[in-house]
Amino acid sequence: MTADASFWIVQTLNALQLSMLLFLLSVGLTVIFGLLHFVNLAHGSLYALGAFVGVSASAFAGSYWAAFAVAPVAVALVGIVLYVALIRRMRNAGPMNQVLVTFGLIFVFLDLFRLGWGDIPLGMAEPDLFSGRTEFLGIVYPTYRLFIIGLGLVVLAALSLLLSRTQLGAIVRAGVDNGDMAACLGINVERVFFVVFCLGCALAGLAGAVAAPVLSVTTDMGTAILIPTLVVVVIGGLGSLRGAIAGSLLIGFVQTFGAVLAPQAAAVAVYALLAVVLILRPAGLFPARG
Amino acid sequence: MFHQTPLKTGAVLLLATAAVVYAFTTGFFGLELLTEVAILAIVAIALDLVAGYGGMVSLCHGALYGVGAYAFASATVLLGWGGGAGMAMAVAGGGAFAWLIGAVSARTHGIFFIMATLAFGQMAYAYFFDSPLFGGSDGMPGIARLDLSGAGLDLNDSRGYALFCTVLALLAYALAATLLRSGFGRTLVGIRANEPRMRALGLPVWRHKAAAFGTSGALAGLAGALAAQHTMYVSPGLLHWTVSGELLIMVILGGLGTLVGAVLGAGVLVFVKHEVARFTDHWHMVVGLVLIATVLSGGRGIFGQIEFLWGRRGARRPEPAATEGSPDHA
Amino acid sequence: MLEVRDLSKSFGALAVTQRVSLRVAPGERRVLLGPNGAGKTTLFNLLVGELAPDSGLILVDGRDVTALSVDARARLGLARSYQKNNLFAGLTVHENLALSAACAQGKATALLADSHRDRGVVATVEEVAERVGLSELLDASVDTIPYGARRRLEVGLALASKPRILLMDEPTSGIGPGGINAFHAFLHGLPAELTILIVEHDMDLAFGIADRVTVLNHGEVVFDGPPQEARDSALIREIYLGSWGAEGGGHA
Repeated sequence: MTADASFWIVQTLNALQLSMLLFLLSVGLTVIFGLLHFVNLAHGSLYALGAFVGVSASAFAGSYWAAFAVAPVAVALVGIVLYVALIRRMRNAGPMNQVLVTFGLIFVFLDLFRLGWGDIPLGMAEPDLFSGRTEFLGIVYPTYRLFIIGLGLVVLAALSLLLSRTQLGAIVRAGVDNGDMAACLGINVERVFFVVFCLGCALAGLAGAVAAPVLSVTTDMGTAILIPTLVVVVIGGLGSLRGAIAGSLLIGFVQTFGAVLAPQAAAVAVYALLAVVLILRPAGLFPARG
Repeated sequence: MFHQTPLKTGAVLLLATAAVVYAFTTGFFGLELLTEVAILAIVAIALDLVAGYGGMVSLCHGALYGVGAYAFASATVLLGWGGGAGMAMAVAGGGAFAWLIGAVSARTHGIFFIMATLAFGQMAYAYFFDSPLFGGSDGMPGIARLDLSGAGLDLNDSRGYALFCTVLALLAYALAATLLRSGFGRTLVGIRANEPRMRALGLPVWRHKAAAFGTSGALAGLAGALAAQHTMYVSPGLLHWTVSGELLIMVILGGLGTLVGAVLGAGVLVFVKHEVARFTDHWHMVVGLVLIATVLSGGRGIFGQIEFLWGRRGARRPEPAATEGSPDHA
Repeated sequence: MLEVRDLSKSFGALAVTQRVSLRVAPGERRVLLGPNGAGKTTLFNLLVGELAPDSGLILVDGRDVTALSVDARARLGLARSYQKNNLFAGLTVHENLALSAACAQGKATALLADSHRDRGVVATVEEVAERVGLSELLDASVDTIPYGARRRLEVGLALASKPRILLMDEPTSGIGPGGINAFHAFLHGLPAELTILIVEHDMDLAFGIADRVTVLNHGEVVFDGPPQEARDSALIREIYLGSWGAEGGGHA
């Protein structure tokens, strides 16, 4: 079976799809860390929130696109509340306190999901536009999954442009490189932090809404995705956009191909990979600063 | 620096007495809770040893605990060894795995250290979850408790087992306190306070940190062996990173770097979970909110606050103000 | 005792240490002089191993230590104090000194005995505290003692490890004239066989205590000789006065 070309194409597409999902999550997490020096363990919960809000929105409006539009906005709004109430004052509290507070948030979100949506796994319909399957290169592949890959690439391109071509992007790059310097230049760093944090939350919410039709929506989906996302961020290098891309692809492919080729070793392989990177390159593959 | 102050000694004696009295007055369910508290107290002590005194905040102590449990289960069920040998295996297994993690991660700091321990812990979790030898995601049933009938103790009786675990928790405290008062412990606190300077004074810091982490893992492994015997069953869930997170909550709630606080935190968390569960099954939310409030208030934790108030009370006495400069905690 | 041969170190295009060679005899008091950015602290960092040189050798008692780690060199008897206080925050003066003494006396890893109550350690702590004038403050937290006392503890930490070679980086910075006199007395009280290197900014102080003076400028040794000669050297005067001029002393 492994000799079959279509097998490799299908698995490559699966890996790409997972990579794009991981990218949507890790890019927010990594840029937030690079700028604010804040590790948000509740980032996975924001993703789950996006999925739950998406399920409700699409059920209410009777259209997938309602989820697509509402989830990022709703999660960004929750992000605003979090930022004002917690994140802002935790920025200089040290990594242990940040880990603890956001771990507490995971618990709070977990029960909020159970209160709001119950314990039963929920599903969400694909949009009509991308339902069904597409035939190409001799394989048949679900159209919606191709849409996920495409969406990831679009977001990637948009973020690259945002970072390289806009003033906000320049400030973010300067801030990641040297936070004090950016502050000295008279830039309103606080406002930039806020915008970036909201953008990161919105992307997490988008990822949740996009993943909902593919995965079942459960209360623990946030904690389940959190660890691979953190692995991506640490392997790529905290604060690095290029690192998030490389890390997402690496983990997406290792996890997907590992699961079909060597199911025994696949799960361990991801962490072993992380351990090796931490030993050889403690700052990740693409460190944000020189 | 760690000092076994009269306040600490009093608190430990009080907790031990309370545990014994509780053991003889409560029913089956209470004994189950007491056993759980005693076992988790050992892991929390182990965690406070490295996090509170060594500055090594770990998110893999759940995994070390789980490795100890699996080591005991494999030794007794798969290899047919006796309970004593199984316990030794658990201590050795937890210690060796922790030493390895410490040795590899000792050069990383802050969030990178936390992430490294998280990764190693999850690696162990993933291994046991997928391993057919150890029962995969179903875990391993049929674990027998240590046979101490020669000494006239029946550990299959829940009161006997609860008291056994309580005694071991007390011994774990004594061990940790002795270690922290020793040259080894003093130096560990020195590393937390200023690692580069400790190195400049001639200490091979890396070796010291790895040894401390290994010792902590050995204690966690012991607790794992007790947990395996308690439920007579092990599952990969023991190793999951959220268990490590809960252990960290215990230490923070009780008071990081106070040692007694770790025990107190284990007790409070287990009982709060249980009490809250009687009214609502949303204990996660309660614990999460309490944790957030504790950290946000810049809290010293329960025992940290007690020591702080006790120290202030002492400072108000008409004695030289020098006592102010030598706080008992840390 | 301590010998340096052709030591060089650059950060990118910036050469901070250029072919520095030194030979310090046992028991010698050597003062390193030079304007800001001359590479004095960098040289110390290279000597104790906190920086790795690009080329050159460092020898202690004829033994090449260039590849040894910071802690291994310290165990050979090389100790330093820092230009910026580098203490164990949150601990008392006694605990600070005891950490250092215990390390040197092999008590830092004792599993049962309390190193801070060990007789040998306590004796060293009290002796060093006496020398640096901290006997009254032994139980005070380093966070609460005055700046001058912290500055003295900085030197005390190095001294408590009973080194054979003591490197002091601007031990008198910021402690005022009274402190400088006390430092003189302290220095004269140290064992004669202790080899001492001091980075100093103040020329008068340096000439008062040195057996020999080495002057660095832009990472190079520009003078090496007895203090009298240094005092009369036009070159040194020019370097020092020049450093006030528009050219500046380069990096810190």
